[in-house]
Amino acid sequence: MSAEAPHVTDHDDGAVHVHIASTRFYIGIFAALVCLTIATVKVSYYDFGSANIIIALAIAATKGALVATFFMHLRHDKLFNTLAFLAGFVFLAIFILLTYDDLGVRAKQMPWSYVQHISAETGELAPGGEPATSATQDDVNEEGPPKAGEPAKGEKKE
Amino acid sequence: MANVSETAAGAVEAGHDDHEHPGFLKHHFDTPAQQYNASKLGMWVFIATEILMFGGLFCAYAIWRGLQPEIFDQAHHFLNKIMGASNTVVLLFSSLTAALAVRSAQTGKRNLTSFYLIVTIVCAAAFLVIKYFEYSHKFHLGLLPGHCFGHPKLSAAIQNGQEVGTCLRVDVNAAPVMPEWVKAIDEEGHVTVLSPRANMFFALYFVMTGLHGIHVIVGMSVLAWVLYKNIRGTFSPAYFTPVDLGALYWHLVDIVWIFLFPLLYLVGKPE
Repeated sequence: MSAEAPHVTDHDDGAVHVHIASTRFYIGIFAALVCLTIATVKVSYYDFGSANIIIALAIAATKGALVATFFMHLRHDKLFNTLAFLAGFVFLAIFILLTYDDLGVRAKQMPWSYVQHISAETGELAPGGEPATSATQDDVNEEGPPKAGEPAKGEKKE
Repeated sequence: MANVSETAAGAVEAGHDDHEHPGFLKHHFDTPAQQYNASKLGMWVFIATEILMFGGLFCAYAIWRGLQPEIFDQAHHFLNKIMGASNTVVLLFSSLTAALAVRSAQTGKRNLTSFYLIVTIVCAAAFLVIKYFEYSHKFHLGLLPGHCFGHPKLSAAIQNGQEVGTCLRVDVNAAPVMPEWVKAIDEEGHVTVLSPRANMFFALYFVMTGLHGIHVIVGMSVLAWVLYKNIRGTFSPAYFTPVDLGALYWHLVDIVWIFLFPLLYLVGKPE
């Protein structure tokens, strides 16, 4: 196939030389991506508590890595391009972690940012304003308009 | 191609102007390989900046979800997992065809490249059509960002005054104020009373998928331009950089959606 053509010439001739994967290989990667998509949807119907988001993000990261490595040719590309790509994620991680850290301090310093939402008419706690336990949620669903009887708990932290 | 500035500078490398240039090689590059590698590096740096642009929204998502996990849990049941998953598969398939378009450009099959590019653009359009149906359902229920959340003038369901699809507002005709609550049916068929603070989830939903949708439209335009150039016969196994970079952009759009889909549609307690 003409796929071999670019490899025939000398590598120092200044022409563009790239690795060309087969069509079948690309279709295989696509099949793997679809399987992972189905898996992540199926898993979402089970309750693993806080592990749900970790599983979902792990599958997403795997899919993203497959796309970047093979569809975007990073596997056979210059290493520096991979570094440029990963640098984006490194700085994103710094951004999110430092913001999260700031937020942990703010809970102590700015308790008013945790004030519950109070209904203006009834003076009662609006739905969703307190951590939803399954029991209170069912009550709200049956009765329609909310009757959350619990008093406002104010800030939850410390 | 005689270059005036170079004739003035005597120190220009001998042989450079005698050398036969391929038409695609810009004057400031020595070789096609150098030009290709520079273009690719530029594209990858651009992709890193795109990650950081979406990163701001992912950070906002992490913060708001951390503050009010129960509201995200409740609100995410208003997104249809099947529609989201279908859109994921549509985008993954378009990524496949984009990769195959690059492959056929590398191997010099011009018509096949055009075919794959057209399939990619059609898939992008299909993605937007599915997104349109999802958006219009949210508008119908009044699940909108900010002060539009549960606004009777914007939501057909709330206007009709059905028992569900109602909201409690102090004064409908006054300047926009947040409703006390919004009652609507989620994707599992449960009647749910949403706190006004659920508007944060829908704000993130609309901004994140909206920014992604803009990227889909830009990607379609870029690929359409590449398609036009391909039909004109610009590309060859020696020069296919625009096909490659256009496809890289499209794969980026795909990767962003790969993360948006689970974060918006899937995480949260199953009912």
